[in-house]
Amino acid sequence: MELDIIKDAFDRISKKQKLSSSKSQEVIDLVGLEVEQALGKIQSAHDLASPVDQKSILTDLKLKLNAIGPLHQLEGSQKELNINLSKYQKLLEKFLNPDISKAYRNVDFDFHIVNQIVAAHFYRQGLFDLGDSLLNEAGEPEATALKSQFLDLHQIIGAARVRNLEPALKWACTNREKLKQNSSNLELKLHRLQFVEILQKGTRTDALNYARAYLTPFASLHMDEIQKLMACLLWAGRLDSSPYHEMTSPTHWDNLTEELTQEFCSLLGQSYVSPLSVAIAAGVEGLPTLLKLANVMSAKKQEWLAMKQLPVPVELGKEFQFHSIFVCPVSRDQGSEENPPMLMPCLHVLCKQSIMKLSKSSTRTFKCPYCPAEVSVAQCRQLYF
Amino acid sequence: MDSLPNGTATTATATPAAPTAPAPAPPSSRLGHLGESLKLEHQFLRVPFEHYKKTIRANHRVVEKEVSAVICGVSDDSDVSNDDAVHHLSSLVSRLQGLKRKLEEGSRTENLQAQRCRARLDHLESADAENLSDWNNMRLKRILVDYMLRMSYYDTAAKLAESSNIQDLVDIDVFQEAKKVIDALQNKEVAPALVWCADNKSRLKKSKSKFEFQLRLQEFIELVRAENNLRAITYARKYLAPWGASHMKELQRVMATLAFRSNTECTTYKVLFESKQWDFLVDQFKQEFCKLYGMTLEPLLNIYLQAGLSALKTPYCYEDDCTKEDPLSQESFRKLALPLPYSKQHHSKLVCYITKELMDTENPPQVLPNGYVYSAKALEEMAKKNNGKITCPRTGLVCNYSELVKAYIS
Ligand SMILES: [Zn+2]
Repeated sequence: MELDIIKDAFDRISKKQKLSSSKSQEVIDLVGLEVEQALGKIQSAHDLASPVDQKSILTDLKLKLNAIGPLHQLEGSQKELNINLSKYQKLLEKFLNPDISKAYRNVDFDFHIVNQIVAAHFYRQGLFDLGDSLLNEAGEPEATALKSQFLDLHQIIGAARVRNLEPALKWACTNREKLKQNSSNLELKLHRLQFVEILQKGTRTDALNYARAYLTPFASLHMDEIQKLMACLLWAGRLDSSPYHEMTSPTHWDNLTEELTQEFCSLLGQSYVSPLSVAIAAGVEGLPTLLKLANVMSAKKQEWLAMKQLPVPVELGKEFQFHSIFVCPVSRDQGSEENPPMLMPCLHVLCKQSIMKLSKSSTRTFKCPYCPAEVSVAQCRQLYF
Repeated sequence: MDSLPNGTATTATATPAAPTAPAPAPPSSRLGHLGESLKLEHQFLRVPFEHYKKTIRANHRVVEKEVSAVICGVSDDSDVSNDDAVHHLSSLVSRLQGLKRKLEEGSRTENLQAQRCRARLDHLESADAENLSDWNNMRLKRILVDYMLRMSYYDTAAKLAESSNIQDLVDIDVFQEAKKVIDALQNKEVAPALVWCADNKSRLKKSKSKFEFQLRLQEFIELVRAENNLRAITYARKYLAPWGASHMKELQRVMATLAFRSNTECTTYKVLFESKQWDFLVDQFKQEFCKLYGMTLEPLLNIYLQAGLSALKTPYCYEDDCTKEDPLSQESFRKLALPLPYSKQHHSKLVCYITKELMDTENPPQVLPNGYVYSAKALEEMAKKNNGKITCPRTGLVCNYSELVKAYIS
């Protein structure tokens, strides 16, 4: 975008604005001076008690003020400013999209739901006072569903930040089975960090006791890990100058907080990244395409409102790809249960309908559109992504 | 050991990484997107500019008015006594001094508002590949503040702006002006709204707004409700009649209420006495207000959210096994997306069921004998861990790594 041009245009405005201000000052000063002088004359004439021609002084003042033409002067500087103001506005309209609501559908967009989404967004970020404040102002007290869970999460993480793993371990212990189902070894990682912490700060006996109590249950599944940790005992108190110094790296703590959050959200049935952030980011990426589309279709409002599928793709980055979508390279149809992707013996993939067409409803073999292979329908098999 | 020993705090290493980490740093191809997304920021630049312009105009009008008042105040009538003349001229001098002070004050406001305009230009300019995720987070906050201001959740809006230190990037002060009018309308008072109309007379006229007429109609209705018929007629003569030329039908309909009164059962007129007319005026005001400042009529949040949901919506989102990372796995987002069309793809986008990563030429899709497809990366890792055996996570089928074939998806 031509930000430089816009910035230059704005600089011109603020220059003209300053000029116009000082012009106004000047005009006021000039008028003031004349009035004061006239006042002085009348006063001094009065003091001298001589018959003054008050009328001529005032007529003189009137003439002088007319000669200054203050209103004319004011108008002139303002005019220049106005020209620049409207130029700037036109530039904004030229380089930016003046109405990004053109692609907006006036459909039922329930603001109660939006409020709940926003409040949940605040809660998951640990902005509890903002979440509460919003729900209070919006008068939706019943929408605090996720608050207590995220309060727990932020307590656990807050403690872990100051290297207190007790709440985290408690949580991991309570949810041991579920974590196992997620094939997460978070609990072991927590104990490992705790163990290393004791090795650095506590005594060898403390560390050994800790290992016996908390690490041995993991021995059957994670023997290598446990052996390594036990070897660390040899360097208790000076781990950072040992072959295992990597274990003392603070990045383990950062990674752990991240993993903890991930597992916590996962057990809650929530995403790791705020869904609102994801949806808005997708909106920012997708909106330019949608606006172009709305522009093209502006004459066909009904069609625009009635469409069940967008007529053009809205390309989003790969962080927004959550589902496998197969598009047949021949028919451009999206794969579905009725029209699934099929793997041909040459390893190219088409949708079932395309294969049916090419084989004249499986009555003959056909050449793959992408290689010289001859294909019969019987050789094709359905794929599941 | 009964309790776990607490690690002693070592503040130096505790980095305050946000628990809900932002998306990872985007690749440079994203910069094209960035340029496009900056073009969506018209309102961001326009609103402070309108505000600035408004201040400039108002200041200028004051100077013009005062100076011309002073000039007209100089008269050379001969029958004025000397004392009176002195007194009069002195009053003009102090009037000019007062104007000077006002002008200085006004210039200060103008300069502050110019600064704000510039801060926004700088903010747009500051977006680049290195700070993109922070910048995007800030954009979300701006969008949220905009939403809350439009919904009249002023306290939360101010709190968010303050705690994120983005006061210059949001329009809290502009909405203060709206708040006064909205609060009054909600209390069934039209006076502040009429003042607002007078302040913006020429622009409202230009956009053929009939908001003032609607306010006047409501005032008239209130007089009829109070059975103040004579006053109602006087009022109508003075304030409604001028709109007759352009809005005769509405005018007639409202005048007819004089005959029917507020307890009428006739639906055409009954509705005019309902209190939802006041809600309608609030909505109407919000629209006029947004138009005047060059804002979109809908909150930015709704616009972006709807666009995002449209772009993300696929039939798969509504299935039970939809991944939690998809916003459309959540009931609330699903409801909002319900009336929106599905997105469309021209090319296959395949996501590995196991790793959730995109399958492409670097990480190609591989097919198990049962037709289930996973990414090469996931299957290699699985084979490595299990002596070359692959177990299909969805069907339980076990096969050898050597039985896999690569699928070519164009
Ligand atoms: Zn082929």
